[in-house]
Amino acid sequence: MTEQQIVDLIDSSLAEEFELDRAAMQPEANIYEDLGLDSLDMVDMVIVLEGAFKFKIREEDAIREIRTLGDIHRFVTGKLQGAGALD
Amino acid sequence: MPDSAVTSLSSPPVSGPFPRLGPWALLMNAVAYPLLVLWTLLGMALFSPGLLLWKLVTRWSTGRIMRHFIWIYGRGWLLLMAPFVRFRRKGFAGLDLSSPVIFVVNHQSFFDTYCMGLLPVFDVTFAVRSWPFRMVWYRWFMRLAGYLDVESTSWEEIESAGRAVLDGGGHLLFFPEGHRSRDGRLQRFYNGAFHVAVASGRPVVPLCLDGTGKLLPPGRLSLRPGSVSLTALAAIDSRSFAGENGPRELRNLVRTRLAEALAEQVREGRG
Repeated sequence: MTEQQIVDLIDSSLAEEFELDRAAMQPEANIYEDLGLDSLDMVDMVIVLEGAFKFKIREEDAIREIRTLGDIHRFVTGKLQGAGALD
Repeated sequence: MPDSAVTSLSSPPVSGPFPRLGPWALLMNAVAYPLLVLWTLLGMALFSPGLLLWKLVTRWSTGRIMRHFIWIYGRGWLLLMAPFVRFRRKGFAGLDLSSPVIFVVNHQSFFDTYCMGLLPVFDVTFAVRSWPFRMVWYRWFMRLAGYLDVESTSWEEIESAGRAVLDGGGHLLFFPEGHRSRDGRLQRFYNGAFHVAVASGRPVVPLCLDGTGKLLPPGRLSLRPGSVSLTALAAIDSRSFAGENGPRELRNLVRTRLAEALAEQVREGRG
């Protein structure tokens, strides 16, 4: 999987789950202030990402540090890179 | 039905300027809030002796007694509002509530929780966000009733507590929109209720609450006379939604059913 494919899958999965406006889904977008997500959504976001990428991330502390969509891109890319799943 | 189609089926917007309050509405506002305060104070005063009496007579747990008291409190509020608001309950006749279910309700007003006094069962544990627990005059009673704070508690604990409620014979109630709708439209649903439903295998009963958004919309303090209906839709067997995407599919089905029911209420209102 390439980095662009990862970004596209993240964005499409989150857009579908949270009914997000794709135009607003820029890497610098704050997931709370710009995309309108909240603390309850974080649980659903983890489940969506786990389903999309077939990994387990719910126990990872780094999730609590996520603030922007770009943070999610970097977090997932790093996770897949660590698992050797990146082209 | 795709989500975009669901979103288009909704109650009419209730935002925007309200027309002037008529004499009946003015009277309602003059008496409804003071009566609510008096009713709340009376409930607080009677709570301790009532708890002791119920314990002696029923031998119920404190949580079950508190849920009964809260249901009675809601019934009292309905009675106080009855001169100004016509309350109706529909669709419960064919519903089997002898076994635990998960109620899922749309959310339009602060008073939606009070309207749960319309339910024909009292042993209902509410799963709500943190802010209702910040109301000091209710917080203690909510804690005693075992209400679930879905915002401040980990999801594993909520799921475990929810299953314990259901296994103990009680019902669960969620407002899956999480927030009151600002424009009357059905909002996006959180998944929590549907994860509990699939994990427990208990039926989901969608409840369509209509009229509270006009009674007291979010951001306003003035009440308006009108009618409120609580309609129970057909129960949905959550056991048909096993699998990874099961909770989301169940969520989408419930949302579709509620959106259709709300649209039907709007058509009836215009008819």
